[in-house]
Amino acid sequence: MNIKDNLLSLSNAVGLGNIYHAANIAFDIISKYTTATKNGLNIIGRLEGMGDYTLLLEAHIDEVGFIVTDIDSDGFLTVKNCGGIDLRALPARVVTIHGKREVTGVFCATPPHLAKGEQKYDDISTLKIDSLLGDTARDIISVGDFVSFKQEAVPMLNNQVTGKSLDNRAGVACLLETAKRLSGKELPFNVVFALTNEEELGHRGAKTAAFSACTDEALVLDVSFADGPDIAAKDCGRLSGGGMIGISPVLDKELSNKLADIAKENNIPYQLEVMGGATGTNSDVISISKSGVKTGLISIPLRNMHTDVETVCIDDLISVCDLLEQYVLGGALL
Amino acid sequence: MIELLRQLCTLDGTSGDEGAVRKFVISQIKDCCEYRIDNLGNIIAFKKGKKTPSKKTLIDAHLDEVGLIITSIDQNGFLRFKTVGGVDTAALLFHRVLINGKTVGVIGGKPIHLTGGDERKKLPNADNLYIDIGAKDDTQARTLVREGDRAVMCSDFTVIGNKILTKALDDRVGCAILIKLLQKQAEYDFYASFSTGEEIGLRGARVAAYSVDPDAAIVIDGTTAADIAGVANENQVCRQGLGAVVSFMDGATAYDREYYNAALSSGISSQSKCAVAGGNNAGAIHLSRGGVRTLALSVPCRYIHTAGSVADFRDIDAVYKLCEYMINKIASDRL
Repeated sequence: MNIKDNLLSLSNAVGLGNIYHAANIAFDIISKYTTATKNGLNIIGRLEGMGDYTLLLEAHIDEVGFIVTDIDSDGFLTVKNCGGIDLRALPARVVTIHGKREVTGVFCATPPHLAKGEQKYDDISTLKIDSLLGDTARDIISVGDFVSFKQEAVPMLNNQVTGKSLDNRAGVACLLETAKRLSGKELPFNVVFALTNEEELGHRGAKTAAFSACTDEALVLDVSFADGPDIAAKDCGRLSGGGMIGISPVLDKELSNKLADIAKENNIPYQLEVMGGATGTNSDVISISKSGVKTGLISIPLRNMHTDVETVCIDDLISVCDLLEQYVLGGALL
Repeated sequence: MIELLRQLCTLDGTSGDEGAVRKFVISQIKDCCEYRIDNLGNIIAFKKGKKTPSKKTLIDAHLDEVGLIITSIDQNGFLRFKTVGGVDTAALLFHRVLINGKTVGVIGGKPIHLTGGDERKKLPNADNLYIDIGAKDDTQARTLVREGDRAVMCSDFTVIGNKILTKALDDRVGCAILIKLLQKQAEYDFYASFSTGEEIGLRGARVAAYSVDPDAAIVIDGTTAADIAGVANENQVCRQGLGAVVSFMDGATAYDREYYNAALSSGISSQSKCAVAGGNNAGAIHLSRGGVRTLALSVPCRYIHTAGSVADFRDIDAVYKLCEYMINKIASDRL
């Protein structure tokens, strides 16, 4: 399986709360290349190198979605979002409800004769899901069940892919590819791959993963905003412009610089993403794990974040893998 | 019926671009009736029955669906568009579309993380929406798309119990019912029109009715079912599972009262459309020439005009049966 095939199958799978479809796929793959374990919330894969130094490579594997909080007698569900969701985009959105079995539902859209003026989208409890099950809904669906977007990933022009949960299956696909490339090589230090859960709920999996890994240094892979007609150039990177190397007060300056230097030396496309403080990624929590971890961040440019029409470019994923491989083989900060 | 609907709903046919749907409908009816295509692309068919009634009856369903038309391509390869027919901006933002039946695009927008205050709570102006097909620039985009090309919202065809979830149920449900009526042995002769351009102003049906010059007409369409959470009973219009929806009045037509009463007392599962809202091809047909006595039978559709519209097979079956009943009733009772 190449990186694109892996990305498509990871995107189509669900990783939300107790739904571990994506994690199961990733675990099968990473087990081929590393000594892999499932550690509570997370998947950990180890490659032993020389010495005691450890580099953690991390990507979160969960996605945004919903959890059922109420089911009415006509089969309409009230939900709460898990992670940041644009409520304006929910009407007529098709979803998978993970009840006793998976069922397809759809977010209600306001009937035209009842649309009065400008509707406000500020309260998710007013946006119901039609389970299409009528009065039998409660036999199949319970409060606490998760709901995911239903969307199959498909290729677009120029080696792009569109689908749901590319945030952050794109990062996961890069880590799996990097594990494949590094597997069997003589490594200057230990490399620990962590695929973590519950990032969208508050960077939770990364906290325990960083603690357990006893790492000296960490590199986080996530996604960031790519360009579009309605986004100011200062707020985004460029799709197909290469991985976005993070520079921020919470990140290790030497690490950021080294990533950029290696990219430049090896003619790997890259771009810089400068932030004034918190990055909004797992690097914020990994860097302050235990007595502190030198942490770097590479983000894959992505359009339409947190929707089921996210898009990424496979060329960017490959650039990120090239950079990671060179960085590790180049000795990292050791 | 499921397979027929699957084929019909999966085809793309925005108003003015109904060719693929027309071709499919013809493939289904060509051996069971006489038909011709008129200048606006309507299929006008004549079904020979066992008996010839004294009055001429026309049954209409429309071929077209709502969608998008590409109006310009910018230098970065993003496509701008207008809607064809009524499509709510909420059903567009961050939806996947298919252009010319082959090019995948997405209606993109600013991610929630970069929106704030009122911008996050209100839909963007529809004129600011764009389609991203992943093109590098306008030159590459133009190899696949040009101004005037059409796009539809992508959707699967999903069957859940009695319900179908897909795009274009308005009015492929009507097309499916009319195809089934034409394929069956008819008691009385009738005319059928599969008409174009309903969603942009009842255009095809107007000229089809002129050509056929009927005495009576039955319009089969989808109508809004607002039997959903948070909507009071009096605003629900009609309810899924309760059968064919019979209209007394809508935004375009005050219906023939005798037909309305006859349909509701047929014994076939039916309900009144409890709102004076919307409109359908009856608006054009009942005013054709010197006037046509007209009945509208509708399938209740939730989330109509979106990629996630929902219909109930029990209602589709009821409209089919009631339409056949009314063709015979109008003929035999000379209504």
